[in-house]
Amino acid sequence: MAEQEVTLMKGNEAIARAAVRCGVDGYFGYPITPQSEVIETLALDKPWETTGMVVVQAESEVASINMVYGAAGAGKRAFTSSSSPGIALMQEGISYMAGAEIPGVVVNVQRGGPGLGTIQPSQSDYFQATRGGGNGDYNVIVLAPASVQEMADFVDLSFNLAFKYRNPVMILSDGVIGQMMERVVLPPYRPRRTEEEIRRECPWATMGRTKDRRPNIMTSLELKSEVMEVHNLHLQEKYRKIRETEVRYDTWQCDDADYVIVAFGSAARLAQKAIDMARDCGIKAGLFRPITLWPFPTEQIAAVAQGRKGILVVEINAGQMVEDVRLAVNGSTPVGHFGRLGGIVPEPDEIVDALRKMEN
Amino acid sequence: MGRMKGAIVVDTARCKGCALCVQACPKAVIAMGKRVNVSGYPYVEVICADECIGCASCGIVCPDGCITVYRKRIDD
Repeated sequence: MAEQEVTLMKGNEAIARAAVRCGVDGYFGYPITPQSEVIETLALDKPWETTGMVVVQAESEVASINMVYGAAGAGKRAFTSSSSPGIALMQEGISYMAGAEIPGVVVNVQRGGPGLGTIQPSQSDYFQATRGGGNGDYNVIVLAPASVQEMADFVDLSFNLAFKYRNPVMILSDGVIGQMMERVVLPPYRPRRTEEEIRRECPWATMGRTKDRRPNIMTSLELKSEVMEVHNLHLQEKYRKIRETEVRYDTWQCDDADYVIVAFGSAARLAQKAIDMARDCGIKAGLFRPITLWPFPTEQIAAVAQGRKGILVVEINAGQMVEDVRLAVNGSTPVGHFGRLGGIVPEPDEIVDALRKMEN
Repeated sequence: MGRMKGAIVVDTARCKGCALCVQACPKAVIAMGKRVNVSGYPYVEVICADECIGCASCGIVCPDGCITVYRKRIDD
């Protein structure tokens, strides 16, 4: 087996480089700190000269997401990336994609809010990401990377899920993971899909009508509410299947733990350090890390909560995922929350203090 | 053994102002500046270059590899 090439890069750079290697057809984006390295890396690497991948700096975030709508509607693997205020602008397009069942990928490298907020890391877009974000009854699949390696790995996974279910997928990262440099092994090069492959795999795609079928139309509009209800029921059935089969999570030192910290993304990395420190002071703590935030690992958290003294939800926000954890635990175990706001990243010893407070 | 004299160069365009180097420096050579770079991040600046001993603590802790450390031995 060939030796894997380990490189050192930022999470944002890993997203860009992994996309080129995964045979992605197009990137459409608009710069915003702390995410700009995605488009900067693509501009530097010039994939249009090698794989033929299209890279466009659009005139706005609204244009970016609608370019993804167009490209993905033709069966292409297309994605965009932005940070919190830019993702807020994209919500209309994401809702339209969910309604029209278009498989695209959106990367959110979160920063502090609300509004323009700060450019420092935050996890305060959890509600927006996991509740759909735009109008209508819909969900996007949300993956939360906790390392630069996962930033790279989740690109291909996102596209696979997006095309498997014909649904938008969001990679919910933040300024910590996007900006920090870590070791990463990039995926091997894979060619972009040919027109024939897309025709075979995506019979729904708008890539020129053939004589043997009716025209494909990508739209989220339907004037008859009876027809729209049937379409909504179809979407809900799809979401049920996703909930059943696509839940992903990770546990760490949970077996003997009295307290379980539930945290995603960069907060899970902080929690790991805090758990080491807590164990040194005699507090047995473990970590449950949801990897898919939607579908949420509800049953798995309910199971892991059994027999514990407490659950502490650590987030870099004012308390968002804690609501899903409380619903999952359903009163069987006390659930607390610790978070910092506005772009401040919690210190591990603050998390240990929060654990101590739960103990008393 | 001679003394070490050091000098550091900060890649201010890549610095995100995490200030880990400020904490790591044993001689308080580095401090957070008031200006921001093209990304909007405040970046660190060298405030007393003469104090630098070239220990490279700042370069080791920098998560973004922004600091290059030069050092040379000064004979007593």
